[in-house]
Amino acid sequence: MEFKIDKETFSRALQKIQGIVEKRNTMPILSNVLIEAHADRIELTATDLEVGMKSSYETTVTREGRITVSAKKLHEIVKELPEEVISFATKENDWVEIRCGKAHFSIVGLSPEEFPYFPKVNEESLIRIEGALLADMIEKTAYAICFDETKYNLNGTFVKATVEDDRPILRMVATDGHRLSIAEKEFHGAVGPEMAKGVIFPKKGIFELKKICEEATTQELALGFMDNSAVIKKGNTVVVMRLVDGEFPDYTRVVPVANDKIVTVARDPFLHSLRRMSILSSEKFKGIRMELNGAQMVISSSNPELGEASEELEASYSGPPLSIRFNAKYLLDVLAVLSESEVALVLRDELSPAIVKPAAVDGFTAVIMPMRL
Amino acid sequence: MESVHERTILHVDQNAFFASVEQEANPELREKPIAVIGRGRTVVTTASYEARAFGVKTGMTTWEARRACPSIILVVGNNAAYTRISVQIKKIFLDYTPLVETFSIDEAFLDVTGSLRLFGSPERIAHLIKARIRHGFGLTCSIGIASNKLLAKLASEMQKPDGLTVIRPEETARVLETVPIEALCGIGRKTQRQLALLGIRTCGDLGRFPVEILRRRFGVIGERLVMMGQGRDDSPVVPDEEAEEVKSVGHSTTLDRDISGRHDILRYLLQLSEMVGRRARRYGVAGKTVHLTVRYADFTTFGRQQTLPLSTNDSREIYREAVRILDTLVLEQPVRLLGVRITNLCHQREQLPLFHHERCRMLATGAMDAVNDRYGDFSVTFGSLLDNEEKGSFVISPAWRPEGIRNVDVK
Repeated sequence: MEFKIDKETFSRALQKIQGIVEKRNTMPILSNVLIEAHADRIELTATDLEVGMKSSYETTVTREGRITVSAKKLHEIVKELPEEVISFATKENDWVEIRCGKAHFSIVGLSPEEFPYFPKVNEESLIRIEGALLADMIEKTAYAICFDETKYNLNGTFVKATVEDDRPILRMVATDGHRLSIAEKEFHGAVGPEMAKGVIFPKKGIFELKKICEEATTQELALGFMDNSAVIKKGNTVVVMRLVDGEFPDYTRVVPVANDKIVTVARDPFLHSLRRMSILSSEKFKGIRMELNGAQMVISSSNPELGEASEELEASYSGPPLSIRFNAKYLLDVLAVLSESEVALVLRDELSPAIVKPAAVDGFTAVIMPMRL
Repeated sequence: MESVHERTILHVDQNAFFASVEQEANPELREKPIAVIGRGRTVVTTASYEARAFGVKTGMTTWEARRACPSIILVVGNNAAYTRISVQIKKIFLDYTPLVETFSIDEAFLDVTGSLRLFGSPERIAHLIKARIRHGFGLTCSIGIASNKLLAKLASEMQKPDGLTVIRPEETARVLETVPIEALCGIGRKTQRQLALLGIRTCGDLGRFPVEILRRRFGVIGERLVMMGQGRDDSPVVPDEEAEEVKSVGHSTTLDRDISGRHDILRYLLQLSEMVGRRARRYGVAGKTVHLTVRYADFTTFGRQQTLPLSTNDSREIYREAVRILDTLVLEQPVRLLGVRITNLCHQREQLPLFHHERCRMLATGAMDAVNDRYGDFSVTFGSLLDNEEKGSFVISPAWRPEGIRNVDVK
């Protein structure tokens, strides 16, 4: 195999797959990128067996072929090469030669035969969906994904499409067992059987998906399912991710319906106050206290090792006085993904789940469980 | 820095504490050689002075004790009584100074520097304490008085039982000249051997020894060794409530017989996990790392640990993790001791879980704890523990303290 490619393209292509390659050194081949050259393009493939990505780039191929090399090392090399045009060629015994200007690298790769199979995607079976819509919904839910690997069914985002009032609605849900986030939006397109039932996208895949959604090239992406995997195609890139094989908990039962105490508060002052108050809470002494009484909200925190802090905020509230304690991070995570200027807290009592959402618009609901007082 | 010479420190050491408590409780045991032993297969924890005269020592097996003293009376220790009396004796100390550092269940340091104007001389305080302990519990203690903890402890050792020894600053050098180094608290057998190779046998030798040589040999400890030889010690009396934060919550148990069946091991792990979880919950701490300790029949001891994504004090989660660690091990011998411990502690108010079933479990745990607080540990417990013959702590750990998270109810 032999091809010439410009540094900028190659570097960006390698950058893109760095998040995919396996960081733990369990199977060396998974740390490698598969490079295939045919006709007038090269294809770069990386996978950790859970999430795989394949992108193709136009370039000048003088000799077709395939090879795998360390994705990290190759990226480091390419970033530092002196000139614009890089020539890349394979030698015997899986050696790779990279030349650029007067710089010359010979690095050893691994046989492409050992690289895991990457499925061929049947483009006709994919549905079209707007990238920006997905990116926004992922942003609004992914923070709540559970990182505890023993709760594997929570290690991803639940995605489900329904038809409500003749409008197709896409819904994403993530939870770690302490808080839960639901984003829903109307979308255009057909609802396939997998999406109608609901699928769990793995955590790593969802973050990769968000990245490619945010790329400026084309707005639309195509989504489909095959062999218990989700396939996403956008421009020159295909991502395949194995869906989490598990039952997502019935989130509808977690969203409280009997909460009747509504507090509205301006988002920015609320966020900054929480940040200030949480300075005194720590890994060791988490939690802030929120006291509601009429139009006044008092947020306070204390830490036996440091001291205490409190702050008054203007809020609108007409219920009876209420005192409730939260992990400040859970509130901050929600406020960080909202852009609306007013947020509403819908509460019941100090031991029941609380809803946080924009005061004026629908389409987003966060549920946060308080801490014991 | 305040001058160390002005301090007045008392070290109070209860004489043959466990044995004396037993002799006081049962007149038939008085003035007889007795040894307090643990439950099951254990060793002598304390011998009375009468038994010590026969050469019975702490740490002997019951068989060795009987050989040394055929007429010895073996008494199974009543740990609950010892801990109760230790707590009450500490209350007496607190009448004389707030600066009381519990060193172990039967030893404490008191900094009475600031109390002298109220009570007169340190000797007077010592006599008052001795009289109150004698009248209140029928027990004797040895008290050492000196200008620092090192010398106070050395002084209390000098006269036993029922002693009162003062080492005045001007006498320090003369007293230490002939004291063997191993009498100092902090010099173990290993250090003693290493120092002996340098020709150092007494504190006098140690205090005069060129510090550079010791520094090269022992590192930073070298300087401290010379200071010890000279009877200097700046370490403060740290009241228990200011003592360094507790870093772990753990329980271990020596099994009545060696076991190797997984099923048997799991039962003990569940019991230990419940003890750890319950104590952690009582004091509002949770741990992120779970440790499992295993001791084989031949006393080989090792531990493995695993860090969780979130802190926990839920007995079931601690147990699950302990079992997971166990399953990574290949047990080569029957097991003699098992220990479960959580570290990486945080003090947190409980984060309530979102899902109903988890919330129910948390509330159920709270209800179980409430019942057990009222009717005693293991009144309500896991069904699989019902067959475990004895549940709870039967040994007073060196880390035991009269109050706080280190306070373990022992049986």
